[in-house]
Amino acid sequence: MREDYTYVVLADDDEDDRLFFVEAFEELKMQTKVAVYKDGVALMDALNQSDSVLPNILFLDLNMPKKSGLECLQEIKCNNRFKDIAIAIYSTSASEEDIEDTFVNGANIYIKKPDNFNILKKILSDVVTMNWQYHTNGLNKDNFLLRL
Amino acid sequence: MNFKSIYNSERFLKIIFGLSLFIVLVMGGLAYQYIQKLSKSFDEVQHTYQIHIELEKLASLLKDAESGKRAFIISKDSTFLEPFLSSGEAIDSSLDHLKYLTVDNPEQQKNLEELEIKIDESLDIFEKTLQLAVSNKLESPEFISGFNEGRRTMNSVRFKIIQMTTHENNMLGIRKEKSSKTLSNAPMIVYYVLILSLVILLLIYIQISKNLKSLKQKNELLETFKESTTQSEIISKLGNWIWHVEKDTFEFSDNLYRLLGEEPQSFEPTMEHFMAFVHPEDLDKFSEQVTKMMANEDLPFTHYRILQKDGSVKHFKSYGKVLIDSEGYKKLLGTTADITDEIENYRLIEERNLELERNNKELASFNYVASHDLQEPLRKIQTFISRLEDKEQEQLSANGKLYIQRIKSSSARMRSLIDDLLQFSRTNKSEEAFEESNVNILLETAKHDLAEIISDKRARISSDRMPSMKVIPFQIKQLFLNLISNSLKYSRKNIAPVITITYSQTKASDLPKVKYSKYNLYHTITIKDNGIGFDQEYADKIFILFNRLHNKTEYSGTGIGLSICKKIVENHNGYITAEGKVIEGSTFTFYLPIS
Repeated sequence: MREDYTYVVLADDDEDDRLFFVEAFEELKMQTKVAVYKDGVALMDALNQSDSVLPNILFLDLNMPKKSGLECLQEIKCNNRFKDIAIAIYSTSASEEDIEDTFVNGANIYIKKPDNFNILKKILSDVVTMNWQYHTNGLNKDNFLLRL
Repeated sequence: MNFKSIYNSERFLKIIFGLSLFIVLVMGGLAYQYIQKLSKSFDEVQHTYQIHIELEKLASLLKDAESGKRAFIISKDSTFLEPFLSSGEAIDSSLDHLKYLTVDNPEQQKNLEELEIKIDESLDIFEKTLQLAVSNKLESPEFISGFNEGRRTMNSVRFKIIQMTTHENNMLGIRKEKSSKTLSNAPMIVYYVLILSLVILLLIYIQISKNLKSLKQKNELLETFKESTTQSEIISKLGNWIWHVEKDTFEFSDNLYRLLGEEPQSFEPTMEHFMAFVHPEDLDKFSEQVTKMMANEDLPFTHYRILQKDGSVKHFKSYGKVLIDSEGYKKLLGTTADITDEIENYRLIEERNLELERNNKELASFNYVASHDLQEPLRKIQTFISRLEDKEQEQLSANGKLYIQRIKSSSARMRSLIDDLLQFSRTNKSEEAFEESNVNILLETAKHDLAEIISDKRARISSDRMPSMKVIPFQIKQLFLNLISNSLKYSRKNIAPVITITYSQTKASDLPKVKYSKYNLYHTITIKDNGIGFDQEYADKIFILFNRLHNKTEYSGTGIGLSICKKIVENHNGYITAEGKVIEGSTFTFYLPIS
């Protein structure tokens, strides 16, 4: 079952962003299954279910109520069960501070939310088809932030 | 120790004083001896004269007796015998007296014994001849022989007396000679000694007066010091105090009283009296310090508050150090400073710092709001527009399509405004960010970021090789980026932009519009283009935030880019200038100090 599609999960408190995300994948017509959560607490609750299906790629918004993306990241990195999840930070800001913090905490890539739907589609398609093994091995602070 | 310091020392004075005292004593002794000798020789002369007189008296007694006897023999008048009859007793007493006078002279004693025998003999003959004369046997041979015998013994008595007188005179002569030798020297010695001691006294006087003079000078200096100390105490709000460790007494300077809000020397300087001023809350701490001070004879920096009588609170700081004076007494010299102003200033600065910190925090949160919250709706507007363009294009009228285009360009402009503002507010100075950097690489990175526009406009950019500089790298990259994109943006239509970047060094004195600089030499980087240029009139205005020389429909731009450039250069303690000529091009020059 898992070999058939890529399981993609997004945690974002913004309704519009969740909409764009889902629509982008619909238009991309890739072998993906998409799930969205409206905040960090909902995401972590779902992940922490013992019989939960773990995503291949987890997109994390940083600025969320109750539990921020950074807190989710830290929790996930503490749990060995989640070690295979590739984590993409998906945020409006690309401040040095946020990039630094998430990189240090073990995120795999940092995506600044684009202001064009077509660019969003391209980014998501690139990320899903990315060779994570290769990317993670050569990961450094310079290629951590996704540039198009 | 050299001679001069010995000469000047107190010990020298003591030695000289002792010496002169000794000399005066010796002199007194000599004078006493001299007078003793004088009186002794006077006594001796008197003694000799007494013997003389006594001998003369003896001789005259005998003479009287004999002449009386002779007169009796001639006149037969018995009254003439009177001296003769009384002479026996007088002669005896005279002889006794002589014996007493010559008791220390054996030779004169011997002579006296002989004289006595001779007198007795002569008196016997007197007696005999007198008897014969009474019995009228004047013509008898016995009388005549007796008479002659009497004259002979009388002569020998006289001779003996003369002999004794001569002997006594000789004795006197010898003694006189003997004593006159020492006596004639004595006044000279006394005189010389007197002169010597006068000289020494004079020397001492000179030395003492010299010492007094320097003492006076030093005293005056001390007075001046004291006065200036008093003044500086008042000006710097300092008070001095001394604790005499052995005596356990205190001395307070006038200003210490003033610091306590009291009249100088208005109460006895004791620790108890001072403690009465210490703020009740600090009293325990202060007493502890005092106890420590008494035990260790040292006072490290101590801070406490005092309460003046009028109720005002002052902050004091005290410090003390032990000094051992020339007599071996320990003194703890202390200084107390009124640091109320410092503390208040410090508090003020602290308050301002807090305020600044708050402001900075507000600014930071504003930055966050601008970067995140403002961008988010804008981004979504843009994304929705792109959705409309893609999916709903066919459903829109021509006007609708135009409106969409307008919304699109407006939101794009808003985006660049927000981005540039953020860039501007993030362009801060922090010392840690400075590092030795290869400026050529920074320039290349900036060019790389602009690669698309450069190739679109077919721009040619040439640059000199630049040395490494100590800068904030990302800001210098931004500076190049802004200046080059400025040149590209304001290029003339249909003319490919040519940008020339040159490097040189400028002395501070040659900097335009700079009067004073703490650096001597500046890196000078010039970016020259062949764009539309500008009127030199506006050269300063273009660096001001939101100032634009061109209509935004003609040339895109937020009016922030050059302000960022100016901020970056100022962060590096440098200067930036602009020169422009309409239609010919503009030249931007920035100067960065070489430290």
